[in-house]
Amino acid sequence: MKEKFNVVGKPVIREDGKAKVTGQAKFADDYKFPNMIFGVMVRTKATHAIIKKIDYSEIENDKHIITIVDAKDIKGLKKTGLIRKDQPVFAFEKIVTPGDVVAMLLGEDEDKLRLLAKKVKVELEELPVLNDPEKALNEDSPLIHPEFGSNLIVHHPLRKGDIEKGFAESDFILEQTYTTPHIEHAYLEPECVIAIPLGEKGIHIIGSIQNPFTARRIVAEVINYPLNKVKIEQAELGGSFGGKDDLMCILSARAAVAALKTNRPVKIRYTREESILESYKRHPYRMHYKVGYTKDGKIKAMKIDILADGGAYCSMTPFVTWRSVVQATGPYEIENVWTDVRGVYTNNPYTGAMRGFGSPQIIFAQESLMDDIAVHLGITPDEIRRINGYRQGSITASGQRLENHEVNLLKVLDTACNETNFREKWIENEKHHNRRIPTIEFKENILKRNLILSKNEFINPDDIIKKGIGLAVSFRGSSLGAEGIDAAASYLSIQNDGSAYLLCGLAENGQGMRTAYAIIVSEILGIPVENIYYLEMTTAHIPDSGPTVASRSTIMGGGAVKNSAEILRKRFEDFLKDYWKLNENDLIVFENNEVYVKGKENLKLSFPEFANLAYKNGICLSSIGWYPGPKIHWEEETGHGSAYFTYVYGCQVAEVRVNIITGEVYVDRVTAVHDPGKVINLLGALGQVYGGVTQGVGYAIFEELDKHNGLPRELNFDQYIIPTSKDVGEIIPIFVEGKDEFGPWGAKSLGEPTLELTAAAINNAIRNAVGERYFNLPVNLEEVLLKRKLRPEDLKRGSL
Amino acid sequence: MNPEFNYIAPLNLNSALKILSASKSRAKILAGGTDIIPGFHIGSKRFSSTELLIDIKRIRGLDTIKEYKNFVEIGACVTFSQLSESEIIRKYFPLLAKAAETIGSVQIRNRATVVGNFVNNAPCADSVPPLLVYDAKIQIQSLNRKREISLQKFLIKSYTTALKKNEIVTKILIPKPEPELKGDFYKLGRRRAVAISRISLAVLMKTKNSLIEEIRIASGAVTPIGTRLYELEKFARGKAANSDTFKELSIQLGKKVLEITGLRWSSEYKLPVLQQTFYQLLEKVSRDEI
Repeated sequence: MKEKFNVVGKPVIREDGKAKVTGQAKFADDYKFPNMIFGVMVRTKATHAIIKKIDYSEIENDKHIITIVDAKDIKGLKKTGLIRKDQPVFAFEKIVTPGDVVAMLLGEDEDKLRLLAKKVKVELEELPVLNDPEKALNEDSPLIHPEFGSNLIVHHPLRKGDIEKGFAESDFILEQTYTTPHIEHAYLEPECVIAIPLGEKGIHIIGSIQNPFTARRIVAEVINYPLNKVKIEQAELGGSFGGKDDLMCILSARAAVAALKTNRPVKIRYTREESILESYKRHPYRMHYKVGYTKDGKIKAMKIDILADGGAYCSMTPFVTWRSVVQATGPYEIENVWTDVRGVYTNNPYTGAMRGFGSPQIIFAQESLMDDIAVHLGITPDEIRRINGYRQGSITASGQRLENHEVNLLKVLDTACNETNFREKWIENEKHHNRRIPTIEFKENILKRNLILSKNEFINPDDIIKKGIGLAVSFRGSSLGAEGIDAAASYLSIQNDGSAYLLCGLAENGQGMRTAYAIIVSEILGIPVENIYYLEMTTAHIPDSGPTVASRSTIMGGGAVKNSAEILRKRFEDFLKDYWKLNENDLIVFENNEVYVKGKENLKLSFPEFANLAYKNGICLSSIGWYPGPKIHWEEETGHGSAYFTYVYGCQVAEVRVNIITGEVYVDRVTAVHDPGKVINLLGALGQVYGGVTQGVGYAIFEELDKHNGLPRELNFDQYIIPTSKDVGEIIPIFVEGKDEFGPWGAKSLGEPTLELTAAAINNAIRNAVGERYFNLPVNLEEVLLKRKLRPEDLKRGSL
Repeated sequence: MNPEFNYIAPLNLNSALKILSASKSRAKILAGGTDIIPGFHIGSKRFSSTELLIDIKRIRGLDTIKEYKNFVEIGACVTFSQLSESEIIRKYFPLLAKAAETIGSVQIRNRATVVGNFVNNAPCADSVPPLLVYDAKIQIQSLNRKREISLQKFLIKSYTTALKKNEIVTKILIPKPEPELKGDFYKLGRRRAVAISRISLAVLMKTKNSLIEEIRIASGAVTPIGTRLYELEKFARGKAANSDTFKELSIQLGKKVLEITGLRWSSEYKLPVLQQTFYQLLEKVSRDEI
C-alpha cells in the first residue's frame, strides 16, 4: 500500500469555492429560459380525506392561467416511490398529509398564481386522522394506504443467541425508553427545478437534484419516456443533507408533465414554507431498550424495540430502519440480541433520508444508556466502552466478523479521552451535583405547583452554571450495504495539452466530492488539481452510479475515479516503456505535472509534452473507470449477514455548561475523533466535521419539527431553531486513519459519522453536569427544567 | 406574498407628512422594513391591506444620534447597528446598547430601527425595557402638530400604539441618567443569536448606605408589552439592598406577571425562570456596584 502522497491528505481549496462565495455559481433558480412559465401548487387544508372532486371553475378562465395540470395529465405511472410506489405525483384518490398537492397552476405571473391556487375548490370527505405512530398498528386505526392492508411499512427483526438466557446470566437489568423528533434538513436553498421540452429529443431537466439518476427513473416512469430521452442536469446545489431526493424526483416529474403539456419551459421554485410543509424529514423514533449486564460491566443481553414514524409515504423508511437494525446495539460485542425495528404509516409529514440515516436516533439511545450503566456500576464512561467495545475480529449483532479493516473503535476512544483529559474532568464534574435543577420534580401537574417561588428556592449566583463532559462512540457501515446495487463509474479525458476533464456518476451535493476526485487523479497522473476541469453532471454523459447517499461518494466514486486514472496510467506506462525502450525494472514517475524515469534524468517530459506525444502516437487519452462494491448478503428473517463490506469508527467528546435556572446548554467544545480511512482532502474532511457537529448540536438541544394535526408548526426559521455560530463553541477534529482494502487507498466515509454522535455526547455531558438523564430530544430549555416539552395549543401567532 | 402597493420615498419630513395626511387609511411608514416585509410574507393582517408605503429612510436628519446638555436624541431612522456602535449611547445608556447588540443578526441590525421596534410594539421588542427605565420620551409629528409623549404612554397594547394615522414618530428623547444609577439588561432566547426574546428585563438601581434609594424596573416578552413596573419600584425603594430583598422583589415580579397574564402554556417554564433570572440580575447589578 502506498505510504507517501503528493496531494492526497493535503489541504486543497475546493474547486467551486470561489464561484460560490462570489455569487458566480449557478443554482437552479438562476437559470432562465425564453418563454419560461411557472408552476404553482394547489393544496387543501385537509390532513386525511378522500378527494371527491376538484373544481377549477372559479379560476380556469382567468387570464393568468395558461393551463392546469393534475393526475389526469399523467400518461405513465400516477404514483411513484423509490421503494414502494405509494406517492402520487398529484394526489387524486386521497389526501394523506397536509403537504399533499392536488394540482399545479401554470402561468407567467407566479404571484397571481399563488392567489388563484387558493380559489380551487376541492371537495373532500374527511377521514379520521392518525398522528400517533404508537396507534398505527391498532385494529381500529384508519389505514393510510388501504391497498397495502396495514400501516406497517416494514419490520426488521434481528435475533442472535438466547435473549432470555442472557438476561438470566445478568446481575442487573436496565430498561429505558428514548424518543427523537421530526427533523427538517434546513438546506439553505429551497427546492427548484426547470423542465425544458426538447421535442423529438425528449426533455431536459435542470434542478437542485441530489440524485439525478433516480430523478431520471421517476420522470421517465411518469411521462412514459425511455431513459435516454430524459436528461437530468444537476445545478449547483445549495445543500441537501439527504433531503433533495424523493421530493425533487416528484417536482421534476410535475415540471416535466407541465412542460410537455404546454410545450414551454416550466419552473417550479418553493418558498421556505412550502419546502418545510411538503419535504420529508428525519424519522422520529421511539426506542425501548432492555439491557442485561454483569457487575463487571459486561453486557450479556440487549432487547431492543424501535418504532419509526414513516409518515404518509414509504419513501426510504425500509432502508433507514435497516441501518438502525444493523447498528442498534452500538459498537459492542453482545452474545444475545433481540431487535425489532418497525416503520409505520401515519398522517404526519413523510420521513426519509437525512444525514445519519437511522443512526443518530439509536446512537442517542444506546450511548445514553451505556453511560447510565457506567454510573450505576461506579465506573467511568470510557471504561464501560472498553469492556464491551469492538476489537479486531469482533462479531457484530448480525453475526459479521470485523476483520478486513482496522477496527479502530478503542483507538478513537482513547485518542478522544487523552485529548480532552476526559476521565479526570468527568470525575470532577460528578462531585458537583449538590444543587440540582429545582423545577423537575413538579412535572406532574402544573396546578399542583405554585409557580411563585419561595425564598429558599432561589439559587445562589455562584451555583447556576454546571460543567459537564460526555462522550459517545459509534461504528458505521460504509456505503449502501445490503440496501442495493453498489457500484460507480467515472470518466477521465486528458487533453493534448495535458489538462483534463473529469466526471463521476455521483453528484456534488456540496460535500466537496469534485475536489476530492481531482486530488485522486492528480495523485496518480501528476496533473495539478487546478488543471482538472470537473464536467457538469448530467445523466446523458456518464453511467448510472446509483444515488449520492450513505457517505459513499469518496469510497465508491473515489474508487471509480482512481480506477479511471489507473487505466490511463497503465496505458501511458506501456506506451513509454516502448517509446523510451525501458527495462522491466525501470520505474516511471508521474508527479508535479511531469513524467520521468527514476534514476534516468534524461528521460523526462512535462505532462503537457507527454500528452501531446501520446496523442500523436495514437494513444487513447480517455478512460471509463468502474468500482463495484464487494458482495454482501443479508437474511431478512433473522437479521443475519455481512451487512456492510466495511465500517468506520468515531468518538466525540462534548464539553458543556448547563444553566440550571434557565435550562440553557452552552456547548463549549466538541472534540471529534474519526477514523474515516485515508483522508483525501484535509480541508474537505475538516469541513465535514464542522458542519456535522453543528447539525448535531441542533439535534441535541434545539431542533424539533412539531405537528398540529399533521401540519408542521414551524414553517420557517423564525420558529424552527437551528444553531448559529454563536451557539457552537470550539470544534476540534482529529483523524485516526485506519487501513482498509476498499476505497481509494483505504478512504471510506466521514459525512454522516460526524453528525450521528454529537447529540448523544451532549446528552451525556448534560447528565455529567446536572446528574439528570434526559430521554427525549431535543434537550431544550423546557426539557432541561421540566423534562417535557411545552407547546401552545393552537397555531395562532400574535404578530399576525 | 407582497400585497400590491405604491411606494414613495420622500426626501424631507414635510413632504412625507403631506403624503401621509393626503393618503387614506392604508398607508404605512417604512423605515428598516424588518417587521413589514416579513409581515407581508406571512400574510399578516396588520400589513396585508397596505396600499402605500412611505419610506422615510432617505429623509435627511432622521438618522442621527445627537447629544445635548441634559438629553440625547435618537432619530427615527437610527438602526440598531448605529446604536450599539455609538459612543454616546454606550456612555449614557449602556442597557440600550446591550439590547441593541442582541437583536436579530448583523443584517437585521443594519436595517432595523429603534423607533420601528416600538412602533411595531411586539411583546418581545428588545429596545423597549431599556428605553422605559431610561424614561424615554418620543416626539411625534403630523402636518400641523408636533407633540411629545412618554414611551410608556405611547405603548397601548401589543401591536397597538398611540400613533395616529397622520403621524410619524420622528425621534426619541432620553434624559441623561444620573451617574449613580447602575444597571443591566437581560435577555433569554432559545439560542444566543437571531433569537426572539422569551424574557427580557431591564434594571437601573442606585443605593445609598446599603439601601435602595432609586430603582427602575421594566420587563418585556413576559408581559403583553414592554412594561415599567412602578408598583414594584415603589415597594423596593428604601429597602435594604440585599439578597433577601432581591428574592422578595423577584417573587413580587412573578406574582405581578401571573396577575397580568394568567396561566399560559408557557407559564410553567417562564414564571419560575423569570423570578430566578430577575433575582440573578438584581444580584449582579448590586455586586457590580460594590
